[in-house]
Amino acid sequence: MSLLQLKDATIKFGGLTAVNKVNFSLEKGDLFGLIGPNGAGKTTCFNMITGVYEPTSGQIVFEDKDISGTPSNKIAKKGISRTFQNIRLFHDLSVLENVVVGAFLRHKVNLLSALAYLPPAIHETEELKEKALALLEVVDLRPLANIRSADLPYGSQRRLEIARAMATQPKLLLLDEPAAGMNPQEKLDLMSVVRKIRDEHDMTVLLIEHDMRFVMGLCEKIFVLDHGEQIAYGPPAEVRNDPKVIAAYLGEAV
Amino acid sequence: MFWLKRLLSIAAGIGACFLIDFVAHHQSDYAQRLIVLVGLYITLAVSLNLINGITGQFSIGHAAFYQVGAYLAGFTTLTYFQNQKGMAGPGLVVFIGGVTLACLGLAIRFSPEEKSDTLRFIASCLAGLAGIVLIASCFTNIPFEPYLIGALLLGSVWLKAPREVSRTTAVWGLAILAAGAVFYALFKFGPTLPPLAWLVVMMVVGGAGAAVAGLVVGLPSLRLRGDYLAIVTMGFGEIIRIEVQNRPELGGAYGMNISPKVQPIWLIWLLAVVCIAVCRNLVKTAHGLPFLSVREDEVASSAMGVNVTQVKVIAFVIGSMFAGAAGAMLAHYEGFITGATFAMDTSFIILTMVVLGGTGSITGSVVAAALLSYLPEYLRGLKGPDGTALSVSGASVLAGLLGVVVAVAIIKRVLDHVHKPKPIKAAMYVGGLAAAVVAKLIFQFLLTKSASLRDMHIEAGQLRMVVFAVTLIVLMLLRPQGMFGHHEFSWTWVMKLFGRGKNAPPSEPTPAVAA
Repeated sequence: MSLLQLKDATIKFGGLTAVNKVNFSLEKGDLFGLIGPNGAGKTTCFNMITGVYEPTSGQIVFEDKDISGTPSNKIAKKGISRTFQNIRLFHDLSVLENVVVGAFLRHKVNLLSALAYLPPAIHETEELKEKALALLEVVDLRPLANIRSADLPYGSQRRLEIARAMATQPKLLLLDEPAAGMNPQEKLDLMSVVRKIRDEHDMTVLLIEHDMRFVMGLCEKIFVLDHGEQIAYGPPAEVRNDPKVIAAYLGEAV
Repeated sequence: MFWLKRLLSIAAGIGACFLIDFVAHHQSDYAQRLIVLVGLYITLAVSLNLINGITGQFSIGHAAFYQVGAYLAGFTTLTYFQNQKGMAGPGLVVFIGGVTLACLGLAIRFSPEEKSDTLRFIASCLAGLAGIVLIASCFTNIPFEPYLIGALLLGSVWLKAPREVSRTTAVWGLAILAAGAVFYALFKFGPTLPPLAWLVVMMVVGGAGAAVAGLVVGLPSLRLRGDYLAIVTMGFGEIIRIEVQNRPELGGAYGMNISPKVQPIWLIWLLAVVCIAVCRNLVKTAHGLPFLSVREDEVASSAMGVNVTQVKVIAFVIGSMFAGAAGAMLAHYEGFITGATFAMDTSFIILTMVVLGGTGSITGSVVAAALLSYLPEYLRGLKGPDGTALSVSGASVLAGLLGVVVAVAIIKRVLDHVHKPKPIKAAMYVGGLAAAVVAKLIFQFLLTKSASLRDMHIEAGQLRMVVFAVTLIVLMLLRPQGMFGHHEFSWTWVMKLFGRGKNAPPSEPTPAVAA
């Protein structure tokens, strides 16, 4: 049984077909890359999986259940979480609070207890903060926990988004260009973080990235999109030498 | 230790209310009324802050919920004291409604699990029949018509609804049933209640009524954003006001007299304290974070599993509930309410308080509410040299405004472009103010030359809207985040203000009241 399966997933905006009959499936524990030139429909794919858009036709199956058209918040609850290409942190909240928002998804105490400031709510708040701090440790942001998140440098903001997404305890983590705007050293660090997420935190990772060294070095399977069409699918070595991929995206070696 | 602290802070909160009550009773009627007004406005501003500041939904119809609470509570009291058994009827209706819903919930629970097409067809037929009976009953006099419609609808829902609905329906039914029973008992045994207990009950009634109104308005309109939501809430405010004005049984445009009056000042302030405590508790626990995250970014919140619409509706309902409770208090304190009290002006004054205090800062709302409810009274109370109400010439008002423009222009420039040590900057601000005073004097000298401006006399009390407007404009230019920004009052913050913050532990919890 595969964790996530896209079956002929198609999405049209008016006359434009943004994603056309895409098929791929992720097994549990995969490290999966989604690449393609700009405007190929990669982020649209993410938006479709996370319920921002409803596919025009086709199915998205998560753990054997069709989730196409389910609202975002319910999909998060089912166990899919994501980061955003254009960073969408809660700017006025602190780094820690950002992560607690994610962790809050699995809360148990009800609202009335919080409004009355009863011990269960207070303890839960403490617990969620502990959890969030542990996740900040994973992305090396723990010392900055009380800073306003908008004041973080760009690379750290990306890592904070990853921590926030992990806090919802997803089974599948979608990373939208996690390495964009990072320098080579930061990229190397991020690669080990992503591996750690997969190995130690038991999450399946699907990521979009333009940096080929990053994708080829990290992912075990790669899916290539161009103009909303699937043009290649397989392990990095195969995809790298695929003539269609070279023509559409990678370019000839000079 | 925890409970000791809690008890102490709760005791402090209640104690403060009684202290205010004690002080107020030794004042003139006028001052007493002012104290009450401040208490009510604090409740209103803090509850609106929950909607506007904390959850970030721009609502400008808060006075409508205030009005719903006031009229509902006032009308209930009035009806009850005129005709003691008259209101048992509605209680009975609610009770029966609750029984019906609970039965429906149980019925669905035991309905066939798999609904076949035939069943669905029959269900649709029954629903259609109910519609036909409903239309027919408009033209004829069938006495059993409500029962028939009820039975048909019940049947159709029973056949059509999925089983998952049953639990919710049953729970709601039981809740409504309980409400109806309480309602019924209240009017049956109400006469023995002391006035204060009656007022508490009316506060709950007013709050609950406004909360329901908030739910009804909020559910459809909170899917809108920004300006659109503002327009809907504004429209709702007008609808309520005009509707009330045209209802003779609610006193129409003349207003409604409510007797007997109940005037416990401490209870009014206790409501304010509870409102502050509830909002503060929300922000202090993890449950407040979804509210804040919705303000920051709806798409990201949704991706983190926050049910955005639900969060907004909850904020709206809690906010309206407090406004309604405040309305019930007002009705019983004043003994007289009219639509004019709840006009758009009131909504805007509450909004001004929230914005001035800093959207999202509860402390800010409290301070701004106290300030802005006192200010107009202060202006009204100003006396001229001859002992009558102070009046100023048009020339000096205009010159004053121009002076404000000069001051804002200079201070804004210093704020944005000067990067010098604090003392120098402070000196520049003072210089800006001095320049403004000079400018005001010069303009006044020039403008007095115009006879029409010189001879125009405006009473200081009438300038309150001008003062509000100027305050807001100045605020927007110089400190868009409001007086307090997102900050809250806490002892560490006070210490920091006096330069001792370096040693204090970071962000110690606020030792404010937590009831």
